Amino acid sequence: MGRAFDWLDKKFRIKAPHKGFLRRRLPPGLSYFYCLGGAAFTSYLILFITGLMLSLYYIPSEMEAYESVLTIQREVHLGWLIRSVHKWSATLLIVFILCHTIRVFISRAYKSPKELNWIVGCLTLVSAFASGFTGYLLPWDQKSYWATTVGTSMAATIPIMGRHLMYLIRGGMDVGGSTLIRFYSFHVLWLPVTMAALLWAHFHMVKRLGIKGRL
Amino acid sequence: MTRRDFLTGTVKAIISALVTGVTVVAAYFMYPAGLRSRTMVYCDCMDEDALPKKGVKRAEYRYTQKGREMAVGVFIVKDDSAVYALSPVCTHLGCLVNYNRHKNEFICPCHGGRYDASGKVISGPPPGPLARLPLKIENGRVYIGVMLPAAAAA
Repeated sequence: MGRAFDWLDKKFRIKAPHKGFLRRRLPPGLSYFYCLGGAAFTSYLILFITGLMLSLYYIPSEMEAYESVLTIQREVHLGWLIRSVHKWSATLLIVFILCHTIRVFISRAYKSPKELNWIVGCLTLVSAFASGFTGYLLPWDQKSYWATTVGTSMAATIPIMGRHLMYLIRGGMDVGGSTLIRFYSFHVLWLPVTMAALLWAHFHMVKRLGIKGRL
Repeated sequence: MTRRDFLTGTVKAIISALVTGVTVVAAYFMYPAGLRSRTMVYCDCMDEDALPKKGVKRAEYRYTQKGREMAVGVFIVKDDSAVYALSPVCTHLGCLVNYNRHKNEFICPCHGGRYDASGKVISGPPPGPLARLPLKIENGRVYIGVMLPAAAAA
């Protein structure tokens, strides 16, 4: 790679364990269906960057959240664009992960020795669903409020522990200001960090165990 | 047991205890405080004269919490024998039901749960009838009893 990178790598030494990662040989018989995971990861990156930008203007408070979203939509330079890209990438992320899961299932790539990678993938899917669910509340409008009321009420249908689980998720008896802050924290801190760790593990195992059989 | 076995065992035990402890503390920290300190408060709702002669009337009861005026919907029902207050919260997943005067039913907009005028389930997913809230008439005013956090006042 470039001279600047080589200078950095003299100390950092990341090149050696990842030698020629853009030139690795792929097994025969791959098709574009094997790009769905990459498409999902691209969506994740877009969400990460647009999310960083939105967090500069969004205010996670009961009184100001809705107004701040209106401000992003109407006043912030290109705010409408960034927010729309975030919203659509979120939808695409779920679509791509599901398609990727179907591809893995059909090509039986979940089999040994890659069963752990399937499990990590499922955890990533759960994190993505959780990110979508928590992000949906943040505009703090009627639709998001009632969607969250219904969604969190489902937790209460679990026997014995259900009600307490619902209070834990909501941060109170009803969906309110504490729920908003809680969901904001999950959406911008807990879940992205969890997903980054899961994705690292996912890619690490892809590298070690291969895409299709052993690489 | 060698010295090395003893030390690795001890370190493992300490780390397990720490992880368990941190998990328990974190879960306890996350669980909302003050849920038990709720008390029954009778909130002002309407004038006694405004009570429905017969049938269902939509009303609101009011209270203040952290300096903010709250107004919450409630249905006042008068049938042949009694007058009572029904919570509009659907027992399925917590949406607010609407009263349909034409059909004399409560209908939930979320998943189509239907209740009759006394709050009993007619059809749909709700597992139980609409909750009855305590109702009290005092000095010509109607009060609705609700569980509120200690900080709230009627």
